[in-house]
Amino acid sequence: MASSYPPPFEGTGEVKEGFLCPLCLKDLQSFYQLQEHYEEEHSGDDRHVRGQLKSLVQKAKKAKDKLLKRDGEDKPETGSYESFYYGGVDPYMWEPQELGATRNHMDFFKKHRAARIDHYVIEVNKLIIRLEKLTSFDRMNIDAGKIRAIEKSVVAWVSDSDVPFCPDCGNKFNLRNRRHHCRLCGSIMCRKCMEFVPLPLAYKLTSGTREARSVTGSQSQSQSPPTGGGGNVSGMGSRRGSISSLSSVTSMLEEKDDERIRCCLHCMDTLMKRQQKLEEKDHVPDIVKLYERLRLCMDKVDERAPEYIRMAESLNAGETTYNLDTAGGLRMEVQKYYELIDALSKKILTLGMKEEPQPHQKTLQLQRMVRYTATLFVQEKLLGLMSLPTKDKYEDLKEKRKQEQEMRLTQERLIAQVAQKRRQDSEKNRPAASTNGEAPQAPRAPRMTKAGGWLPSSDTLHTCGELEDPLLQQIDNIQSFLRQAKAAQRHDEVAMLEENLRQLQDEYDQQQTSLAIALSQRLAQEESLQQDELQRLEDREREHRAQSQAPGSQATYTWQGSLNLTDIGSLHGEEEGEEEVTPKAESSPLSMRAFPALTDQDEESPPRLRRLRGDVTPPGGEGQNSSSLNPFEEEDSTPVEDPSNPFFEEIQKEHKEVANGKKEYNPFEQEEGGEEEQGQAEGATGNPFEVKEENNEGNPFKEASGCTPPGASTNPFEGEDEEAMPDVDVIEEELLLQQIDNIRAYIFDAKLNGRLDEVELLSENLRELQRTLQEQKSKTH
Amino acid sequence: MNVTLAVKQYISKMIENSGPGMKVLLMDKETTSIVSVVYTQSEILQKEVYLFERIDSQSRDNMKHLKAICFLRPTKENVENLIQELRRPKYSVYFIYFSNVISKSEIKALAEADEQEVVAEVQEFYGDFIAVNPHLFSLNLSGVARGRSWEPTLLPRTTQGLTSVLLALKKCPMIRYQLSSDMAKRLGESVKQIITKEYELFDFRKTEVPPLLLIMDRSDDAITPLLNQWTYQAMVHELLGLNNNRIDLSRVPGISKELKEVVLSAENDEFYANNLYLNFGEIGTNIKNLMEDFQKKKPKEQQKLESISDMKAFVDNYPQFKKMSGTVSKHVTVVGELSRLVSERHLMEVSEVEQELACQNDHSSASQNVRRLLQNPRVSELDAVRLVMLYALRYERHSSSILPGLMEELNRKGVSERHRRMVTSMVEYGGKRVRGSDLINPQDAVAITKQFFKGLKGVENVYTQHAPLLQETLDQLIKGRLKDSQFPYLGPSSLRDRPQDIIVFVIGGATYEEALAVYNLNRTMPGVRIVLGGTTIHNTKRSESSTHGGVLRFALQPPQASQDGSRHHRYVNFCL
Repeated sequence: MASSYPPPFEGTGEVKEGFLCPLCLKDLQSFYQLQEHYEEEHSGDDRHVRGQLKSLVQKAKKAKDKLLKRDGEDKPETGSYESFYYGGVDPYMWEPQELGATRNHMDFFKKHRAARIDHYVIEVNKLIIRLEKLTSFDRMNIDAGKIRAIEKSVVAWVSDSDVPFCPDCGNKFNLRNRRHHCRLCGSIMCRKCMEFVPLPLAYKLTSGTREARSVTGSQSQSQSPPTGGGGNVSGMGSRRGSISSLSSVTSMLEEKDDERIRCCLHCMDTLMKRQQKLEEKDHVPDIVKLYERLRLCMDKVDERAPEYIRMAESLNAGETTYNLDTAGGLRMEVQKYYELIDALSKKILTLGMKEEPQPHQKTLQLQRMVRYTATLFVQEKLLGLMSLPTKDKYEDLKEKRKQEQEMRLTQERLIAQVAQKRRQDSEKNRPAASTNGEAPQAPRAPRMTKAGGWLPSSDTLHTCGELEDPLLQQIDNIQSFLRQAKAAQRHDEVAMLEENLRQLQDEYDQQQTSLAIALSQRLAQEESLQQDELQRLEDREREHRAQSQAPGSQATYTWQGSLNLTDIGSLHGEEEGEEEVTPKAESSPLSMRAFPALTDQDEESPPRLRRLRGDVTPPGGEGQNSSSLNPFEEEDSTPVEDPSNPFFEEIQKEHKEVANGKKEYNPFEQEEGGEEEQGQAEGATGNPFEVKEENNEGNPFKEASGCTPPGASTNPFEGEDEEAMPDVDVIEEELLLQQIDNIRAYIFDAKLNGRLDEVELLSENLRELQRTLQEQKSKTH
Repeated sequence: MNVTLAVKQYISKMIENSGPGMKVLLMDKETTSIVSVVYTQSEILQKEVYLFERIDSQSRDNMKHLKAICFLRPTKENVENLIQELRRPKYSVYFIYFSNVISKSEIKALAEADEQEVVAEVQEFYGDFIAVNPHLFSLNLSGVARGRSWEPTLLPRTTQGLTSVLLALKKCPMIRYQLSSDMAKRLGESVKQIITKEYELFDFRKTEVPPLLLIMDRSDDAITPLLNQWTYQAMVHELLGLNNNRIDLSRVPGISKELKEVVLSAENDEFYANNLYLNFGEIGTNIKNLMEDFQKKKPKEQQKLESISDMKAFVDNYPQFKKMSGTVSKHVTVVGELSRLVSERHLMEVSEVEQELACQNDHSSASQNVRRLLQNPRVSELDAVRLVMLYALRYERHSSSILPGLMEELNRKGVSERHRRMVTSMVEYGGKRVRGSDLINPQDAVAITKQFFKGLKGVENVYTQHAPLLQETLDQLIKGRLKDSQFPYLGPSSLRDRPQDIIVFVIGGATYEEALAVYNLNRTMPGVRIVLGGTTIHNTKRSESSTHGGVLRFALQPPQASQDGSRHHRYVNFCL
């Protein structure tokens, strides 16, 4: 966040450095001014952070592509479907295959359906309108003859003489088997084939006319509006006033028609379909609501679990990309989702179980299947969740990783040296080509041109180192945005940024390595150039010089090389920021300046810590940890940005020692309850001293030993051993709790699958663990 | 060229097309097997498909909150059922996929039934075959032959199945057929006709070497299906009955409840995938290793998890352990049952004699051995008949044939008349007169190649001496030496280069032994991809539903078949 300038690859040619505002590129003289400026000018721009992130990521990507010279080369999309399996033919021999041939008939289908639907919609609308007319008068209080007249006016009745047989069942009409007219279409049927539309249903159907009509109309794209559009009067039918009814004289033999409308099978069928559709339109069954929530949780897990696994893997490998606490929080979150999934699916399973009558067996089956799927899902994902390292273990891991990296660095350096030597040897034999060798070799190594100005300008060591390389700057920016994104809870962005960050870091590593090689090459060239000039000197002297030069040059080279290499190391992952200082301590006067600054801080820190200890209640959790950390972060943000520098560790160590110290003091406290506070104060004061000693001794040692790994490795180990000792008998509480968590999950799983023997075994373990936990707790108190 | 993947892709595409939400898969009888053989339940559940229904089932409830994916063969009944379904839709949306070409008039009929506009998709997805393995498919059709010609209804069905394989794999092949078989020629012509008619569908990207469809007839090699097999998959299929990757172990004495039916799918079961094509002996060793591995990982009951690291190790290994314990118990049970059946039926001895009959040329020793086994009361009826069949085929025209004596033995053993007659039908079906190629001639190239392959393998296994004729045929085909006089091309053009993509179809059914041969060819021949298919996959499994428990499957043939003249052929074809 502290700085930004348009990267060289954008071709502007303008290179700005210093405290630039990331938004308007205004140069501000100091960090504080920049912060002020940012808060004043851009506080409203927060909502654009997302957009910025995007452009930044794009920039970073572009940079990467450019550097790798593979613009626009996208990885081919693979595996959109399931991958092969290994049951039969060696799949490796067969290239992936595309989806087999298909043929779509939808257009043809739609063409024919549209014609049909038009027809159907008109039919339905006709029926509805007629139904409306039939229900729009007060059936109770009108004379039956009048009703019939109205009914006949709605639709023309088929004349009796035309229909000698019932068209539906084929029975002959006679005196006993009378004809009946459908009031909706006018056709004739026998009594058996007759249906009735009850009035409530009729009201319901017609009340939705307006809405329904627009829906069906739009669905079928039918342009023909229903004829006789007087049907928009919804719910117009008047309610019955009384039960009393007047039966018509003419329909003596028929049943009363005042509460229902007779119609034929076909019209009834159409109306029923209509009604069903209306009902279903607004009705969302419970299972759907629950299911939607279930899927939402599953999606969340799918989204968060990989993120967590990535974190846990990284943490377990001792990397410092992620924070242990955030990972723990994420773990909790994911576990909460699992519980939610379990609860929701259980709810789905039992839906309607208590109701009478029992739901259809298929419904039950559906519910069982959903539950089963959820169980499978939880099983599969939950068991894949790896545990996090505990705090102390994490420290160990980090330490280990650092050492590995140092090892690697020295190895690389050695290799570079050897290569250099070889080159030197070969180049010694031929005269230097030209002075052009002095020109910067590649545009992507701007460091080169500055090689001279590197040492003096390093008061602003850190900033400068940061601004040096566009990649590095991007890394820095991305890191800062990563923090923002995390704070803003934008997980997709975080994932994207992390991915980019990793790529950039890899890229940077590579680049630095090649840079080192290039530098050594150049040095070799310079050297031969020197030799070239020396040629002008007397033969003897030249010989003599050459002799003395050979070892001498080598010495200078290693000196320079180591400088650059360690530099790489320092920039490499930023977490190794401390190493930056190391070589300079040996080689340059400047680093002396830097070094006191560090020791200053070291000296400064214990009192502050003591102060903190005094203020805050004795260590008990992360709360204190972070509080003791924070000042450091703030204070050191300029020189040391990353909290994972040695101070961080020291603080943690110290913190722990305080904790240990407290443990030691605890019995003491119990004995002298009144002196509790004092004891604590003693513990607190005592500790910083230890820390101070360690800091003063251990820290410089480590730093100084940047070039000599054996020395470095011995010291921290000693420190570590001391620490590890008390931990041997006392198992960390956190680990225990985690194990208990895990075992609970397994029991849950085993129970679900009905493996009782396993459940037993597991619960045995669980008890054991809990007992251990108890014991430990009693030990600590 | 992976038939399993082809079907899977079709199905996952269907599901994908239907979007999110709860789904039901509506199928018919045949598509049910097509789907279930490539997808496990849990796999398809993950795609939100929770119900599986038959289109002809009456017990389906209205569930408007479900989307329906219909995967159906384009038969009259299915279309009729679907029309009924659309008239009164039970689900909210319908995505309809036919497994083969459907006529325009039927689509029109469907369109007119869709008054509620519930249909969102009508497509043809050509998954009209059972993908048993990636390189092996079956059409699950039996009794395809009536005499020496096609059962009239089954020729179109077989053509549909075969063309759907071509479409699913996107191959528009040249066709070669076995000259000696009229059925092969008819099928070839029928396929060609479809390709011509649906030329738009078969318009695929041209490859340098066109693919090849080779149509063969089972009668050319009647011996292979008669031999007992010793690879895991084949044994399971033969002895236990493998039905859509499921085996029924309920007959196994003392079986526990959860192992009554087990699923063997190469996709989800690593052990099975690795041992699919290994022989019984090797599987025994592997099972032992698996057990030992498991014992090591299995936490002992008494073992106190004393330190936290013990506990941690236990917890970390737990999921693995759990998965493993399922696999172990399953395979131990299956292999145990197999070995029980092997010893009960003296399959080792039987198989040895079978192999001797098939591969060696020592008449006197062979006839002695066959006779000896027939007299053994523990050799099952099925195995006895098969031995005599093999003998009859092998020494059909031997001067001192003891066939009448063996038939007498069968009679004495109590083998029914019907089964005994099958021996003669077998000779009629697959005898020398019928065969187009040299099946039994120990001095020919086949034997030499066999010997060569055995030599490469190192260990001579008496139970797996036999190599199916198909292996030799394919070998010649790949090397471009298959004679046009035996396997002519359909149509004027012929293939100049060596073929690369080969689809072999065996009328009358393929065997697992042939599948193994094809598998090995695929692995050993770079650049060649072979897919094997048949009207069915053979086994002579016993059927529980049969009225006589443990009677051969061919006995299920309806009795009226014995009235018509071609009775014995139908028996044989069913058996094969």
